[in-house]
Amino acid sequence: MSESSCDARASKEVKESENVAEKFSSMSASRSGGDELPPAFSAVPAHKPVKKQIQFVTSEDKQEFSKFPTKAGRRSLSRSISQSSTDSYSSAASYTDSSDDETSPRDKTQINSKGSSDFCVKNIKQAEFGRREIEIAEQDMSALISLRKRAQGEKPLAGAKIVGCTHITAQTAVLIETLVALGAQCRWTACNIYSTQNEVAAALSEAGVAVFAWKGESEADFWWCIDRCVGTEAWQPNMILDDGGDLTHWVYKKYPNVFKKIRGIVEESVTGVHRLYQLSKAGKLCVPAMNVNDSVTKQKFDNLYCCRESILDGLKRTTDMMFGGKQVVVCGYGEVGKGCCSALKALGAIVCVTEIDPICALQACMDGFRVVKLNEVIRQVDMIITCTGNKNVVTREQLDRVKNGCIVCNMGHSNTEIDVASLRTPELTWERVRSQVDHVIWPDGKRVVLLAEGRLLNLSCSTVPTFVLSITATTQALALIELYNAPEGRYKQDVYLLPKKMDEYVASLHLPTFDAHLTELSDEQAKYLGLNKNGPFKPNYYRY
Amino acid sequence: MSVQVVAAKMAEVELKDIPSKELAPVSPVTPKAEDKGLVKNEPNVAAAAPSSSAAAAAAPETLTRGEPSLCPTPSPNPVKMPQASAMKRTDAQQNGGETFIGRDGAVAEAPRMKKIQFADQKQEFNKRPTKIGRRSLSRSISQSSTDSYSSAASYTDSSDDETSPRDKQQKNSKGSSDFCIKNIKQADFGRREIEIAEQEMPALMALRKRAQGEKPLAGAKVVGCTHITAQTAVLMETLSALGAQCRWAACNIYSTQNEVAAALAEGGFSVFAWKGESEDDFWWCIDRCVNVEGWQPNMILDDGGDLTHWIYKKYPNMFKKIKGIVEESVTGVHRLYQLSKAGKLCVPAMNVNDSVTKQKFDNLYCCRESILDGLKRTTDVMFGGKQVVVCGYGEVGKGCCAALKAMGSIVYVTEIDPICALQACMDGFRLVKLSEVIRQVDIVITCTGNKNVVVREYLDRMKNGCIVCNMGHSNTEIDVASLRTPELTWERVRSQVDHVIWPDGKRIVLLAEGRLLNLSCSTVPTFVLSITATTQALALIELYNAPEGRYKQDVYLLPKKMDEYVASLHLPTFDAHLTELTEEQAKYLGLNKNGPFKPNYYRY
Repeated sequence: MSESSCDARASKEVKESENVAEKFSSMSASRSGGDELPPAFSAVPAHKPVKKQIQFVTSEDKQEFSKFPTKAGRRSLSRSISQSSTDSYSSAASYTDSSDDETSPRDKTQINSKGSSDFCVKNIKQAEFGRREIEIAEQDMSALISLRKRAQGEKPLAGAKIVGCTHITAQTAVLIETLVALGAQCRWTACNIYSTQNEVAAALSEAGVAVFAWKGESEADFWWCIDRCVGTEAWQPNMILDDGGDLTHWVYKKYPNVFKKIRGIVEESVTGVHRLYQLSKAGKLCVPAMNVNDSVTKQKFDNLYCCRESILDGLKRTTDMMFGGKQVVVCGYGEVGKGCCSALKALGAIVCVTEIDPICALQACMDGFRVVKLNEVIRQVDMIITCTGNKNVVTREQLDRVKNGCIVCNMGHSNTEIDVASLRTPELTWERVRSQVDHVIWPDGKRVVLLAEGRLLNLSCSTVPTFVLSITATTQALALIELYNAPEGRYKQDVYLLPKKMDEYVASLHLPTFDAHLTELSDEQAKYLGLNKNGPFKPNYYRY
Repeated sequence: MSVQVVAAKMAEVELKDIPSKELAPVSPVTPKAEDKGLVKNEPNVAAAAPSSSAAAAAAPETLTRGEPSLCPTPSPNPVKMPQASAMKRTDAQQNGGETFIGRDGAVAEAPRMKKIQFADQKQEFNKRPTKIGRRSLSRSISQSSTDSYSSAASYTDSSDDETSPRDKQQKNSKGSSDFCIKNIKQADFGRREIEIAEQEMPALMALRKRAQGEKPLAGAKVVGCTHITAQTAVLMETLSALGAQCRWAACNIYSTQNEVAAALAEGGFSVFAWKGESEDDFWWCIDRCVNVEGWQPNMILDDGGDLTHWIYKKYPNMFKKIKGIVEESVTGVHRLYQLSKAGKLCVPAMNVNDSVTKQKFDNLYCCRESILDGLKRTTDVMFGGKQVVVCGYGEVGKGCCAALKAMGSIVYVTEIDPICALQACMDGFRLVKLSEVIRQVDIVITCTGNKNVVVREYLDRMKNGCIVCNMGHSNTEIDVASLRTPELTWERVRSQVDHVIWPDGKRIVLLAEGRLLNLSCSTVPTFVLSITATTQALALIELYNAPEGRYKQDVYLLPKKMDEYVASLHLPTFDAHLTELTEEQAKYLGLNKNGPFKPNYYRY
């Protein structure tokens, strides 16, 4: 693993730590593990990120980063990346990766079939592969497709000039092409230096969307791409779709005048939302912003539903264990913990829960789980799953006491929950038994099975279904439509949650997948309930 | 009966302040007659109840069957009294009204008839209370259903003493006569009831122990108006142990456990309540509670808003000394928000109804169990393999679905809200429209909070033997009135269970006549009441001890920290061991080690 790639990775990683970088660092780590030496012995990726970033950091920016982002959040991951893990979860993302072309895309001039060269991608010739990927993704994103159909007549985004900065994957491509179908012009860049699917970027460029992104950008490339997106004379954006806040940040720093024309920002990630709230607090937010991260539908899918499946998937793929009768302790009973517990219980595992919050603890009790302290069960459990969002939940002292063969993994936040660093001591032997699976061997022969080196199991060893990404993409599209079409004065210079009605619309667009038939209120019933027949159906404080 | 319709009419009268004693002008129509008849009827039925449940079962049938003719539903006649009764009906059902109906059948409409003299009070009732809300019910009431759910609540009920407690002079063993209850001699029975309740309310007992040293309510003078049951008694005695003085009245004319009231009076509490008060008695009791020389309350604990209303109308000066109001019911909270909106709320008020813990227990956990219990007790149905359609996937619906799925039923869900619909899909339930499955299902359960969810047309298409019941709101969800037609035969097969027989012989099984199954045919566990009572106690402590300025003249939700404390007090019951944050972890999360642990918008 080269030092430079390490740096580049690290530089993006802090910002993204709870997002995707987790995944990428793990992937590149394991990839190199394939060819060279096991990553266990390479520079501990877990600690690299700290040195990172940012060329034009002002003190105030640091402050925006310094606060701990809300731990409820978690980011959805492009499927393409995790998709690869269906074959071999250590393989790299994109199948065109192995191209030997080492020229930087910045130095190449490429032209698409329409003669435009306003893009910068790895290789425009991959467009057809990318188109196939996009078509496959469209199959699973019927909500966006039906949105295209429903709104195509009226073109609700006619005149919108959207500059976007997200993962560039087949799913994003479906989103972008939906926005275009609704009348918008788009320029796009990647929010992560590793996540771009080159062939998808090529397909988008071929279709006329100005895309500036390739897999394996350097830090400088990253900002160059963003700048190329925004800094054009002829084209001034009036909407921003951001994921992580980098684009917003760049515009804010470099082209503050652009904000005069901007109607709104749509931000998806925890980190980006946190930065927006900071800006808003400081009175520096000069346009309305929409926080789509905390919409009900997205939260439920990113956390509860997604983790309920990926915990089983991740454990099976890595360890092939049977769950029936196994004693499992799940640390934390938030949305992620609830998902893990219900999945494990359904397979016959004996599940205990640890919690710090008495309300969640009581929920665990009422759902039939024993609430314990980790120390009380640590000797007897076969599996430890952390999903607290906290740090050092499983410490060395506890790892010393677990029984032989105990599986330890993290579903929660970043890589802080298991104190992996404390296992890097001379008396313990690390043995990589397969990708993402390490045996840590104590002097007495006891082995602990550590998954993904304490990073997120669901990102490292499992897939994120397109359906979940479809929820996010639909939410983003509706947020853009809402902000763009809102009458003057509805949104001020503040950060807003997606209106409940839009949230409900996202859900309703996904119902046909289940062949679900929604009941409609009769006029009489709507009157009785004091509701509009078309929603919103619940008060804002409703907890679902 | 549509509350909305009533509300619209109500607007005409809302501004007149009719003096308290003057009944709203009543058209010669029914309600009054109904009122009288029922009130007269009540003691008889009560007397009959212990002798034979068959007699008890027979009586209600005739009475309640008469109902539709007595209560002109979409009244073309905008008179006030029917409106009042309609309003109160919502109220009573949100509260405990249902059970009283369930208890002896005979009183079907009685609780709804009570009170409401102030026209402007109606305005506060106008709006439909939030449908999420639902009130916990005193266990004593529902407890009775463990023997026979049609029997009366309190075992001292059958006393033949017909003298009104208001006319009797009673003294407790300490010589005090500052109370008014049915019979002080029942105190020993009541004490036993209270002791049993204490066993199941460990949270309040722990609160007593933890806070007894510091007496956080020292100097508090609490005037309360709630159901008077053994569980409330545990609450009152806890408040007293924490240093408060209490005076108490009943918030419902039927729910009082006389022997518990007696035990409380014997214990030195000024209690004014008995089972079967008249409308007039009801307000007299409240007044006696508040209007006393040498004692001015500084805290109000209310359930339904009647006490607050009375003080507001009669003794507005009293609010000068009042530090806060704690309100438990949906209705009461709604009234407080109205007051606050109108700028008329002059003290801080705490809405304990919407606390997370209470909501989860009242709805999700409670209904998850009572749906099975209620169905088993009434019909003895086997659930495995049965096709069930649950209308509505809110907290109640989620509970019902989870329980039925666990029993092996095939569950369908209907929803109007796409978010909840998607939740149902992801939880593995087929989302359908009712009309699509109505022919094939064995059980129809409504929990929407809506009206006319199951209409006659659907009932006509159901298959033979289909069970129809309501877990949701009031009695509006199933259009029972549409079944009262000549061609259909009603057959009461046992208490709370009617067979409605179509001309072709098809039978559908209607439970509790479309009223709430969980209140009529099942019990509310003391544990759930313990959650509520603990929440109330902590709200009182919080309001009483809050530094000046923390609470202004507004309605507040219980602080999250208190909500968490309620939960933590109940954890020992499960032998649950809460993990504590280390200093380092707390710092990392940016949290206080002792909570609150979640942001306010967290959805749990």
